[in-house]
Amino acid sequence: MKNFSLMRISIWVYLALFFAYLLGPLVIMSVTAFNSPGFPRAAPWECLTFEWFSALFQDERILNGIKNSVLVGIGTVILSVAMGLAGALMLTQIWPKLRATYYTIIIAPILVPGVVIGISTLVFWDRVNRMLGLDADSFLSSGLFLTVIGQSTFIASYCMLVLVARLQRYDNALTEAALDLGASHAQTFRKVLLPFMRPAIASAAVLAFLASFENYNTTTFTFGEYPTLTIELAQKVRYGITPAISALAFIIVLLTVFAALFNEAKIRRQELVAAARKTATVEELETGKLRLPGFLSSNTAAVLLVVVAMATIAVVGTATVYSPAQCIADVKETKRLETELRIQELLQRRADEAARRAAEEGEQSDQAPATDATPKPSNDSGFGNVFNPGTLQDGGTETPEEEPENSGSGGVFDPGNLQSN
Amino acid sequence: MPRFLREYFNRNGVGLGSVMLGLVLFWTIGLIILPQLSMLDFSFRPNLPPPEIGGPKDVYTLENYKYLIFGPEGGSQDYNAVDLKVFYRTLIAAILVTLFNLMLCYPIAYYLAQTKGNHIRILALMLIIPYWINEILRAFALRIIFGETGVLNNLLVGAGVFDTPFDFIRNDIALYAGLGYAYILLMIFPIYNVIESLDRNQIEAARDMGASWTRIHRRVVIPYAKPGISSGCTMVFMLSAGALAAPQILGGPSSLWFTQLIYQQFNDNSDWPQGAAYAVVLLVTCILLVLALMRVFKVNMGDIGK
Repeated sequence: MKNFSLMRISIWVYLALFFAYLLGPLVIMSVTAFNSPGFPRAAPWECLTFEWFSALFQDERILNGIKNSVLVGIGTVILSVAMGLAGALMLTQIWPKLRATYYTIIIAPILVPGVVIGISTLVFWDRVNRMLGLDADSFLSSGLFLTVIGQSTFIASYCMLVLVARLQRYDNALTEAALDLGASHAQTFRKVLLPFMRPAIASAAVLAFLASFENYNTTTFTFGEYPTLTIELAQKVRYGITPAISALAFIIVLLTVFAALFNEAKIRRQELVAAARKTATVEELETGKLRLPGFLSSNTAAVLLVVVAMATIAVVGTATVYSPAQCIADVKETKRLETELRIQELLQRRADEAARRAAEEGEQSDQAPATDATPKPSNDSGFGNVFNPGTLQDGGTETPEEEPENSGSGGVFDPGNLQSN
Repeated sequence: MPRFLREYFNRNGVGLGSVMLGLVLFWTIGLIILPQLSMLDFSFRPNLPPPEIGGPKDVYTLENYKYLIFGPEGGSQDYNAVDLKVFYRTLIAAILVTLFNLMLCYPIAYYLAQTKGNHIRILALMLIIPYWINEILRAFALRIIFGETGVLNNLLVGAGVFDTPFDFIRNDIALYAGLGYAYILLMIFPIYNVIESLDRNQIEAARDMGASWTRIHRRVVIPYAKPGISSGCTMVFMLSAGALAAPQILGGPSSLWFTQLIYQQFNDNSDWPQGAAYAVVLLVTCILLVLALMRVFKVNMGDIGK
């Protein structure tokens, strides 16, 4: 049995490590959204701040990106769910010899790199545009159209897979019965098949929207005048990162957690209600006096949902009244004192050095080159290689005023401030 | 009207049938086949300014493919060493990322599929949540961690493992971690789906017969899960070879991913035919590699995506 428990422990350790790898980055990123330094970092913790959220909501490009993403998302959902449904229906009735080829063709876009899809869409529609003799700014070459078309190419395959799974459980006799009873084909489709497929269509639509919202590889070639949120984010991240992006990520994480918990709570609730109905007596059911379990009872997801909602409200409430100005000022002050201390040390060391060198020079004036070999005080001063030995040999005390700018502590301190010391 | 078409319209009605047929044809021919062929055609043409397209200079040429192998004409080197090296490195790294993901995910998928209980649902939920979050943001999260003053460096320097911060980004460790991170779900789900349908009795029978733990996996579980494993590996390999966001954000300044070369040809050099040629090379090589491996491991194309 000892072996067995060892196995259990190692499984749990493995799971813990795995989920740390999976969720750790998101947690750390979320934390950085509340820390005050301009570069997103979780440690050292300085001040709790909400300014990155307001910075985010004032960013025109991000807001514009969200708008474009939603536009593209809606177009992609409509087109790809329609094509996915048609593709799935076709798969059930295509000529068996063609079936394998057809399946390969419609599944291929999932495997083709997004970059390739983006390029081929761009090249192909550019050519169509030219063949039709249209201008370079026609609808066919607008970023919105190209992005929707490019994304739908492969997102329709995802939708098709989701829909086929449901379609396999569809009893074709239902369609036949409806037709026998005199319904038209359109009626049968609308009244029989579509209601059956609704759950799958809903999940395909959600999947399509999410896939479209986060797509980068294809969109980066096709977006034109319509940069989506992902494109804007990528440009921001590539040319310097700020905690405002962490703030956005935190909001997305929170929304995701909400959606997931809500969905989970709903499913669990349905299960509980079904179970309660099963055990109920006929009398209870008929009189409608059936006692359904409370919304929160034995429903972990629902409890978590409420907790997260409360926490969010509490945080938003704090954010409206909280001001980190005092804390930020304190941190600045501490940093200033630290830097001053370092400068004092450096000056002290330099004075010693100068005194020593003066003494040496006084002793042997022809051994001047030896001073080159003296250990460089800058090495252990924590300032890096900012100071080259040349400046030190000038020996003067005229330079210290310029040092703070090189000191690596950023532009927090203005030189004038220090000169007064 | 041919017979199969008439049967088709009989079954679906004329209106509905034509809408369906129209959508499928638009998707397969208009969105999948023609654009790919058009890209292929484009890659064999010279890079011309728009007015000259279709003119006398617009002839088929192998120039763009030659460029990948031999470099610019009259260049100092015999081969285009830079681009070829990037290409080679991309493929090798994608394979390594795939293997890493397989090793990481197989135990998890097995555990999730073979354990019953309420906590499995929660674990599955925790697995999916990261994938609802933008690819860029996921890469950004890793960049915060792997940065020079990032969490990991603070931790390692603090613990005394390193004296100075280790540059994870320049050494491509961040890139590999990011690519592995990006496609975990695509590896877990296919394997999970297959193993879930494996009858537990088979494993218990093997155990009763005295098979060791490794032997059960080698002889019972892995052969059964082969379609799932190959499907997951194919997807992870294709996606990481074709990844663009992670290399752009997490890649070191001196190391490029092949997709970044394609991106540069399109956006910085405005040489579309050259970029198309590179894209064709990437696509064809990846497909051939996958098909070859599928042949080796005896898996069918139909198993992919299940």
